[in-house]
Amino acid sequence: MTSLEQDTTTGSWAAFDKTTSRWGPITMIAGMTVMILGPGLLAIRLGVQPGAVIAGVLAIAATFGVVWFVEPLSYFPLLGPASMYQAFMIGNISNKLLPAAIVAQSAVDAKPETKRGQLASVLAICGAATTHLTVLALAVGIFGTLLIDVIPPELVTSVQTYVLPAVMGSVVVQMVWANPQPRIFLIAAVGGAIVVFVLTPLFPIVSYFAVALGVIATIALSLTLPGREKALEEGLATTLE
Amino acid sequence: MSVSATVATSESTDVLAVANSPILWGSVAAVFAVITLQTVIYFRAASRAAPGVGLDKKDVTRAFRAGAVASLGPSLAVSLIAITLISVFGTPGVLQRIGLIGSAAFDVAAAGIVAGTEGTTISGEGYTQQVFANVLLCIAIAGAGWMLVTLIATPLLKRGQGTLERGKNRGRMALISSAALLGAFLCFTFQQAAGGLGPLLVLLASALIMASLLYVAKAFEQRWLQEWALGISLIASLAFATVLPALGIA
Repeated sequence: MTSLEQDTTTGSWAAFDKTTSRWGPITMIAGMTVMILGPGLLAIRLGVQPGAVIAGVLAIAATFGVVWFVEPLSYFPLLGPASMYQAFMIGNISNKLLPAAIVAQSAVDAKPETKRGQLASVLAICGAATTHLTVLALAVGIFGTLLIDVIPPELVTSVQTYVLPAVMGSVVVQMVWANPQPRIFLIAAVGGAIVVFVLTPLFPIVSYFAVALGVIATIALSLTLPGREKALEEGLATTLE
Repeated sequence: MSVSATVATSESTDVLAVANSPILWGSVAAVFAVITLQTVIYFRAASRAAPGVGLDKKDVTRAFRAGAVASLGPSLAVSLIAITLISVFGTPGVLQRIGLIGSAAFDVAAAGIVAGTEGTTISGEGYTQQVFANVLLCIAIAGAGWMLVTLIATPLLKRGQGTLERGKNRGRMALISSAALLGAFLCFTFQQAAGGLGPLLVLLASALIMASLLYVAKAFEQRWLQEWALGISLIASLAFATVLPALGIA
């Protein structure tokens, strides 16, 4: 490789870096804005009180706030800076975007940690986004809307009533299956059981922050109880994405 | 109760009527447009930089196509989950929350939390259009948490690239992530179990169906089934839930 070639390499990479580190954040902020604006306007029209919104957001934050920080930090080494702005807008990172990136890297024979590998993964995510938007628009947008019109109202009520247990049962099994963590599972199970079956009946006010309490207790105990040294070295994260 | 049209409708419990409002369709169309724009910009920037790192035109097409084809299965699997949840969030709601930015686990759990702060449950007594609008807004704002951290952290991490990859830090983050999610989801699970015989049976059915699907996927090496497991399990356990009233369990 001559020095001239090396110069064009760094030059074209710098251009890519400049474009993505400018347009990545711009598009992400735009996406964030329009995604909040729609429900926001609806809430204003229906007279939702600001206090109710704040209470709701705080209650979710108490439960998932930690995950907001941990997931982007955990995915950064796998995705690289440019793809971060793609991944956290498109979603489905671990089940779709990462596998797509790996397949693409092997298709063009690129190692993940190289610039070649990073570009292949950006291109793969572009391909994945194209497929995803098309499939969603057709399968959910059109077919789903037609389907909902013919579903009897009793079925709608039944789905609404049981959606939480139906999702929770499967998600917990899937989490444990994908990344078995017997030590953390045991801590979370004992902590959760105490919060839900002992503290909540004793002090009904606990029910408002029961999950947050369970989360904080599990994190604190997982970091302090014996056996953490081995866990710290393993380093495989359970994720929501 | 027929004071004025707007007041009367916001107290209505017909949430699907507002779930399909043009405002929400407009919002989801805008999100689609933004992601499309981002994809075009990224694709053009990557194509231009490709020759510099030894990727020729054919390689660019190959990488793009590989990503497009590889995500066909997962996209269909996510669509199935989204369709199942249309009666909870409405079509634009599932497109935006389940199909794109969020996930079924976060959004359903968060919807339950917000309904709880309003003293009700999803579809329960007092789950009005107003409560529904608040649920959608809260999960959108909370869902922006990931994006906000991404926006702030990415430039910082780019400068200090490497520190996070090192053993101990990575291990600690993995541990906190696992502890937070297992702590949250086991609490939700117990709360559902404490909610009565109906939810308990649905919970157990869902867990059993998921475990069997994952077992079959592993035993017969059917990777596609792993992707489809959540969608199939959701439909099967909700189908089981619909027969509960017939058995006298509400």
